[in-house]
Amino acid sequence: MQIVTSTAPIVASGLVRHFGSGDSAVKAVDGVDLQVNDGEIFGFLGPNGAGKSTTVRVLTTLLKPTGGSARVAGFDVATEADKVRRAIGVALQDAAIDPLMTGRELLALQCVLYGIPKTRSAARGEELLERVGLTAAGDRRVGTYSGGMRRRLDLALSLVHEPSVLFLDEPTTGLDPMSRLTLWEEVRRLNREGTTVLLTTQYLEEADQLADRIAIIDHGRIVREGVPRDLKAAVGAPTLLVNVKPDQVDSARSVLARFGELRPTAEGTLGVGLVQGAEAVAPVIRALDEAGVHVHHLELNEPSLDDVFAEATGYRLEGAETSTPAAAGPAGGRPGRRRR
Amino acid sequence: MTVAVEPRREHSADSSAVIAALVRRTLLRVRRMPAAFVPSIVMPVFQLVAFSGAFGAAVRFAGVENAMDWYVPLNAVQGASFGAMGVSFGLINDMQTGFFDRMLMAPTRRWTLIAGPMAGAIARAIVPILLVVVVGFVGGMNVPGGWLAFVTIGVAAVGIALVSSAFALGLTYRMRNMGAATLTQFAVFFTIFLSTSQVPLAAMSGWLHAVARVNPMTNVLRLARQGLLGDVTWDQTWGGLLAIAVMLVLSSAFALSGLKRLER
Amino acid sequence: MNTTLASSTGRVADGPARGFGRLLAHTGSLTRRSVVGRLRQPAALAPSFIFPLFFAALGAASFSRIAERPDFQAIAPSFLNYNAAGAILQGVLFAAVSASGDLATDIEQGFFERLLASPVSRTSIILGRLGSAMVVAVTQVVVFLAIFIAFGARIETGVIGFFGLVIGGALLALAMAGLMSGIAVRSGSPEVVQGSFPLVFALMFLSSAFFPRIYMTGWYRTVADWNPMSHIVEGMQSFMNEPLAADQFLRAWVVPLGIAVAGILFALRALSTRLRAL
Repeated sequence: MQIVTSTAPIVASGLVRHFGSGDSAVKAVDGVDLQVNDGEIFGFLGPNGAGKSTTVRVLTTLLKPTGGSARVAGFDVATEADKVRRAIGVALQDAAIDPLMTGRELLALQCVLYGIPKTRSAARGEELLERVGLTAAGDRRVGTYSGGMRRRLDLALSLVHEPSVLFLDEPTTGLDPMSRLTLWEEVRRLNREGTTVLLTTQYLEEADQLADRIAIIDHGRIVREGVPRDLKAAVGAPTLLVNVKPDQVDSARSVLARFGELRPTAEGTLGVGLVQGAEAVAPVIRALDEAGVHVHHLELNEPSLDDVFAEATGYRLEGAETSTPAAAGPAGGRPGRRRR
Repeated sequence: MTVAVEPRREHSADSSAVIAALVRRTLLRVRRMPAAFVPSIVMPVFQLVAFSGAFGAAVRFAGVENAMDWYVPLNAVQGASFGAMGVSFGLINDMQTGFFDRMLMAPTRRWTLIAGPMAGAIARAIVPILLVVVVGFVGGMNVPGGWLAFVTIGVAAVGIALVSSAFALGLTYRMRNMGAATLTQFAVFFTIFLSTSQVPLAAMSGWLHAVARVNPMTNVLRLARQGLLGDVTWDQTWGGLLAIAVMLVLSSAFALSGLKRLER
Repeated sequence: MNTTLASSTGRVADGPARGFGRLLAHTGSLTRRSVVGRLRQPAALAPSFIFPLFFAALGAASFSRIAERPDFQAIAPSFLNYNAAGAILQGVLFAAVSASGDLATDIEQGFFERLLASPVSRTSIILGRLGSAMVVAVTQVVVFLAIFIAFGARIETGVIGFFGLVIGGALLALAMAGLMSGIAVRSGSPEVVQGSFPLVFALMFLSSAFFPRIYMTGWYRTVADWNPMSHIVEGMQSFMNEPLAADQFLRAWVVPLGIAVAGILFALRALSTRLRAL
């Protein structure tokens, strides 16, 4: 059980943010309770349109909450916004940079905006450029930077004032695998140095790799929260994924249903939760064979965050980085479908 | 009991440093994107030449000896107002790249985010104003008011640069697209031209006379022109200063309220 | 120039017969596309209606006393009557620059290449834009004249003069759009096309579009005397202010037609160069 403390760096209670009014109001955030503890990396997971970025924008004072409350670094985001801003660093979904300026110029400007004394700002800028590996590119216009370089500069800009709390909104979206790994390493390093990080992502692997705890948000509400290991364990049985010919799907489904709960999967794949794990694989294969079902492909997956997500929402997360084409889902035999 | 988590270092952004940094950024953008700046230099000069050539007879009939004396202040003021469009484009660009969000998240005083671009508009206005005056001299402009004539032109032009840039900011905060720049252009253009832009008040008739009489721009142009048409006097000055002050208060409030709306 | 692109089967694509019929059909379609595109951007279209009318109203109110002078009365009965042609000129020029800007945007954004990959007649890609400039120009002339007449202007030459002005406006649009399209195709950049606007502005102002030449002096007068825009606009002004005469058609129609031929040839040559470079 999570004990709510008001000393936590990020605390939200019944947070609501609507756009518009009346019946046509869009409830982007619809009652979010969360707490991020000191020194944690907290993963905020959900598909596009779930409310992740809106939640971050409220917590970082870019939007005022419509209802509920939130405190960041001990300050109320609605009434003490200025104090919140001094304590947080933010790297939003799109790298917030001016393409006409150079990396050094942007860092210098950021230092001024955060009140870093002039005597220190040049040194601070160099320090950050070195930290993110952009020293050589510091005098180039940011418009000439690659996507990965822009993200790194964006991260550097969010660190000029050494914030105790860092918000990263989908920091690796659109990056190549190498750049993504580099950014992950930097996030871990920041965390080791004591920075609390709230990280939103639609990449399950990213949340799995980085986060100490995660929350899954869907349609503006948190549907699961906890340590990844515990959440996966709670899903339960591993999933057996089977690919069969389209005209044998019904036969295969009725066979698999005898061994456990059917789970949502990708098109063309069937999945069943095997309570007995690997031991049950052989009997399943025999049963399919006896029913005359021809199996193209078969694999056994341990529960993943994708399974946790699917179990919580009934959807698979688009862009999920799994090594198999299908994953677990909630019980009930509903066919898997991808969230658009 | 709530215990705040203190940031590792506590700094307060110095407002004048923020404004200076934003002005430097404006000038940097002008230097790196000169194509966007050139029209704001070329058009006022061209208009000066075109108006004084095409409509010179009209102002001569109205008793003004040299058309340049009439049109230099107009085009200096109009040239200064072009900076407002630049402010709007710059803000829209920042909104599109997300850089504006970064500035909103900085712990700066909100008014500095408005004052900075407005100060940048003044910096942008200097070259067009100077160029128009130089071309005026080449065209035989008279300066009976002496050095004060240039002060009044400068005050009027800078005042209109501030007013139009504040208005542009207010519109852009609300509309968040290029429509704001277009609307700013219309508003500034009509305000300037529905005044004593082409001929003196005494030479006008009908609806234009009625509109120009109450248009604050008429006072601003009177303030700007007086030194080229005669002596600089307080009688011809105070009306323009008051008009600029009132417009500045209103447009700045418009900008501030627009910024507050963004954070709602 | 009327090249076709064969389909992958080697057959020429089905559709209207080759040659002139095909050119007309494709030009009609692309003109329609261009006009619809303009209508869907009212913010881009509005200035070419609003500014000319505004300047006309401003001029009429600013210079009404001057219009009472005998030397002015010899040219036109009122400043509004004088300014009608200038408003038409201004509107048509704005619209021509915009239409050409759209052509440059097509090139920059790749739609031009999409057209080239289809069996569309190459010439029609240019003519379609010119067609839309003419459609907008005709609309402008009709709207402007209606408004001017509602505010007291009179067309001295009656219905013939009305059509004289409409056709003159269309030919002027063809002329300017032809020239600007050549710039658009050569540069492929809407910024370059927009950047040529000061030149258009200069052509307009260094003429008798907004004020009679008789009042101009020095080098300004000399430039206005030689500027073809002065003669085109004076031809249109004479439809408004003088009895019917042959030289009105010469100035209002033949001059822009001559410029149009040169402009279209320039545009087609630019297109040919661009196609060879592909």
